[in-house]
Amino acid sequence: MTKKVKSLAEQALFASAIFILFLLLFESKIVVPTWVQPIGRMHPLFLHFPIVILLLAMAMELFRFNASYAANEFYRGFLSNLLLVGVLSAGITVIMGLFLSKEDGYSGEVLQWHKWSGIGLFYLSCLIYWSRNRDWYQATVARSGAILAVVFLIGAGHYGAVLTHGDNFITGPISNPSVEPVALDQALVFDHVIQPIFQQKCISCHNPEKLKGELNMADVDALLKGGKSGKLFKAGFPDQSLLLQRIHLPLEEKKHMPPTGKTQLTADEMTLLALWVKSKPDFKKRVIDLPPTDSLRRIAATLLKPAEQQEVVYEFDAADEETVQKLNNDYRTIAPLARESPALAVNLYNRNTYSVDKLKELSDIKQQVVSLSLNKLPVKDADLKTIAQFENLQKLDLNFTDITGKDLKELAALKHLNTLTLSGTKVTYADLQKQIGDFKSLKTVSLWETKLSGPEIQQLQKANRNIAFIAGFKDDGKNPITLNPPQIKNSSTIFDKPTALQLKHPIKGVEIRFTTDGTEPDSVNSPVFNNQTVLTDRATIKARAFKDGWFGSSTATFDFYKSAYKPDSVNLLLPLNRVHQAEGAKSLFDHKLGTFNANSPAWANNWTGVRNNDMVLVAEYKKPVTVSSVALRIMVEEATGIFPPGTVEIWGGDSRDKMKLLTTVKPKMPVKGETPSIPNVTCTFKPQPLAYIKVVAKPCTLPEWHGGKGKPGLVLVDEMFVN
Amino acid sequence: MEKEILEHGFNFNRRRFLSRLSLGLGSAALGSLMIPDLFGGNNTDEEGLTPGIPHFAPKAKRVIYLFQNGAPSQQELFDYKPKLREMLGQEIPPSVRGTQRLTGMTANQASFPLVGSFVNFKQYGQSRAWVSDLFPYTAKIVDDLCIVKSMYTEAINHDPALTFLQTGSQQGNRPSMGSWLSYGLGNENKNLPNFTVLLSRGIGNGQGVYSKLWSNGFLDSIHQGVQFSKGEDPVLYLRDPEGMDRHARRDMLDNLAELNDLAYQEFGDPEITAKVKQYEMAYRMQTAVPEVMDLSKEPDDIIKLYGPDCLVPGTFAANCLLARKLSENGVRFVQLYHQGWDQHGNLPFEIAKQAKDVDQASAALVTDLKQRGLLDETLVIWGGEFGRTSYTQGKLTADNYGRDHHPRCFTIWMAGGGIKPGMVYGETDELGYNIAQNPVHVHDFQATVLHQLGLNHEKLIFKHLGRRYRLTDVSGKVVRDILA
Repeated sequence: MTKKVKSLAEQALFASAIFILFLLLFESKIVVPTWVQPIGRMHPLFLHFPIVILLLAMAMELFRFNASYAANEFYRGFLSNLLLVGVLSAGITVIMGLFLSKEDGYSGEVLQWHKWSGIGLFYLSCLIYWSRNRDWYQATVARSGAILAVVFLIGAGHYGAVLTHGDNFITGPISNPSVEPVALDQALVFDHVIQPIFQQKCISCHNPEKLKGELNMADVDALLKGGKSGKLFKAGFPDQSLLLQRIHLPLEEKKHMPPTGKTQLTADEMTLLALWVKSKPDFKKRVIDLPPTDSLRRIAATLLKPAEQQEVVYEFDAADEETVQKLNNDYRTIAPLARESPALAVNLYNRNTYSVDKLKELSDIKQQVVSLSLNKLPVKDADLKTIAQFENLQKLDLNFTDITGKDLKELAALKHLNTLTLSGTKVTYADLQKQIGDFKSLKTVSLWETKLSGPEIQQLQKANRNIAFIAGFKDDGKNPITLNPPQIKNSSTIFDKPTALQLKHPIKGVEIRFTTDGTEPDSVNSPVFNNQTVLTDRATIKARAFKDGWFGSSTATFDFYKSAYKPDSVNLLLPLNRVHQAEGAKSLFDHKLGTFNANSPAWANNWTGVRNNDMVLVAEYKKPVTVSSVALRIMVEEATGIFPPGTVEIWGGDSRDKMKLLTTVKPKMPVKGETPSIPNVTCTFKPQPLAYIKVVAKPCTLPEWHGGKGKPGLVLVDEMFVN
Repeated sequence: MEKEILEHGFNFNRRRFLSRLSLGLGSAALGSLMIPDLFGGNNTDEEGLTPGIPHFAPKAKRVIYLFQNGAPSQQELFDYKPKLREMLGQEIPPSVRGTQRLTGMTANQASFPLVGSFVNFKQYGQSRAWVSDLFPYTAKIVDDLCIVKSMYTEAINHDPALTFLQTGSQQGNRPSMGSWLSYGLGNENKNLPNFTVLLSRGIGNGQGVYSKLWSNGFLDSIHQGVQFSKGEDPVLYLRDPEGMDRHARRDMLDNLAELNDLAYQEFGDPEITAKVKQYEMAYRMQTAVPEVMDLSKEPDDIIKLYGPDCLVPGTFAANCLLARKLSENGVRFVQLYHQGWDQHGNLPFEIAKQAKDVDQASAALVTDLKQRGLLDETLVIWGGEFGRTSYTQGKLTADNYGRDHHPRCFTIWMAGGGIKPGMVYGETDELGYNIAQNPVHVHDFQATVLHQLGLNHEKLIFKHLGRRYRLTDVSGKVVRDILA
């Protein structure tokens, strides 16, 4: 090799080393242009050069420092050139390989091993080539380098071969045929679900050579013939079939199969065999021919590979983006199914703006529309002709449109239509039965809330097995459910003047019966609510709803409170508990009531509370009012230490400074384990005109039996009523 | 002479260096030709993806998430553990409990006695899934459901766990799942918000839900969840003020738009046009929302299907029905929260009520979507933020017990939207404390939901404050086993 050629080759080697480094660093961002791909594809062809040349060069490198060779001028020159050519060809191979790996279909662990062993080989050889004339490069280094390079070479070669030919390529013919899982959509029930069980668990004894019990399970004919004890199974009757009897015998039984010591069948396998025999074995049946809910199919599906996920490929071109943009408006959304997908989904909205023109305008994209939703729009039978222009339509939503079904056949021309929803339309059995057979690829039709009866839908189903007809929920009156209780319509349950009781129920035609005396209302004796009841004083209304075809509701209880005099101003003289601030004094007269769970800050809203001091409220009336009672609505929840006040004092008078004690009330204390309640503490006294009222509620001391004994109880008040 | 030799050496090295350098640079340059976007400015990966279009063909177009806030006890609903009944009152083995961090409510508890479900279980459907007697309606539709018994999370308290499930981070201030989907998929119906929220509350111990859960985080505010309330005005401030009719409103908007356009011409701020668009959408919502919220035209079968409460605004049943109507009208993500599942004590009584509140309507929603042919393209999700412990919290009595928070396993179900129907995925150990098979992390769940909507969770990215954010943060893998 002339010096010039060699130096050129050396430079090329250096350049490829850098280039490879670059490719590796930016691997994730690299896209191989189409015109470069053929270079990549020459990788499997070119790789044989570096293998042979480097193998030879490394062998020679191994012996380079042998005295006789070291002195040989030709040996030295030839080896150097050979090594250079080998390393350079390895570099080119690596580059090609990296290009090739960017194409689809290459991934996984084997690829990584192959890639890195190849790259390792290349850089190791580079290192050897560049440093082989250094002082430190002696016999030992040369030998170990050469051997390491060969190891890499073999590694790269091996993994490359596995990539191309698959694992076990060489031993394949002599080792056991390994069973490739078959995709669900291609699997046969017998060949791919049942036979593999036999293969793994039975055939080692029941084969043409061994024939234990004169039974051969290796092929279908022999299987059907059975063995010494008779036929293997009785189609349709797993419990009378020898196969299953033997499997289910107790393990210690001599006739139990597979015999003790051999791998036993799993529960799933036993179920599969039983289901298979029950289904009257058919050796040609495919798994997907079974209904999707079939147990055999379900179990099989877990063993088989999921059906090949096929990205749908559309043969038409994408529509012009600008056209799509223009056709898009507030009531018509046109969107591509996915990035780079030519298919479009179109949704129309708003009854008032719909007309068939909205569909006619789409003629420019009629090829691309694969899904069209016209849900609840006034689509007429005549419009179906326009819809039929969307030749690639797959899904059409006509739920609750005005079509009658007489012209459905217009849609039969849509070769790809697989889902058609007709729920809530006026389609009839006669029209469907006549026309639905013409639809070629239809898979699902929804017919809920149409005129078709259950039996009619079943008829359709029977006649068109490829289509799933969805009947949906229809109330047959056989399973009545319970009504919900009545509600009140009064804006507040607190009133100052006599007020009409207003009850309501969300369901039409419901009869509301109620009581005012605290007894449970029933459907016979209790008065029917008729909007004529007037409340004059505090009352507890219990009401229930009844209707034919429903169970009567549970009882709803409404407490009405009378609060005749709302003070003109109110003040609290002592602070409230931190959590139970509510809206301060105001919230005691705001006609807003609290609920249980008041210990949680989230629900404490309307409760004012005190624990460590008294609650002292002063209410002022600009004009004195005649008062005979003051009531406090309080919460009692023993478990959380919410107790009634120990005492409640009511003071009153003409001026703020001259109030006298009118009454003192000691509310009833709860007992241990009492259910929480929200009672009123009512304090009555002689009727008298008052301009100022002072209410003092003193927290009680928690009793001996209580967890917090000795501490003050929490007093919660949400409203006060002055009458 | 020595100097000359040295210089020669330097010269030689310099030449070599330069020639090598040019070679090296040359090969790097050659390689750079293979990176198409190298000189394309800031057109990096994630910005190259137009938001608003799925990455690949989606199975589901919309999601309805029936969030059971407070964490329903899996032991009383789906995860049948007869062993717990056998071992009633026995201490949970330390080997099972491991080093699990406990909440402040049970950390100081002296003993941890196991307790089985007070309610019985039966198997249903072709899938033979176990469902408790508390869920008679759900039991009837198990063949439409994919029940995942092996969900697990990282948080042990409600708010962080809830925030984690919804936003992919325990701390909040990130976009909610619905906001991410709105960002990734765009509007289907331009007359309704893309992401709506409905709240309801059961009788049980409740935990708060806050609007940060449906926040758009750092995404554009059009992706924020819009809460529909139960009152007369489902969307606040949508109604025209008194004395203003449709024409006056139209004129006002037109004039305002002109002014805004002038401002835009002058300043060029894109937020101005965004604002105009929002005004227009609000205008269209004025007709679209009342139409959706109108329940009076629903047929009787629907009322029987969802139960009579579906006509009582603010109930879970009413929200389920509304969710169906919103979804049917192209709302991408309808988020329900039903509060009251936090049974630390008094569990048997409370959970029975809670279950009754949601059972019929949840099942009805699935059936209803199915009978309209919409279940294929709508993903329904039912579940809470974590599970509950196998041992009792507080005192174990003959007929009463409670359960504390448990992050290591909980059960959710999904239906429709390309998820395998009639499947039970994942198993817990026989004490229902640890996952025995097929664990599904919250991020895995989120990745799966995004995948069903045609979004690659690793590519649905938003760059904010110099960092690229994802719903699944830096982990999550699609649970392919449950895909149909």
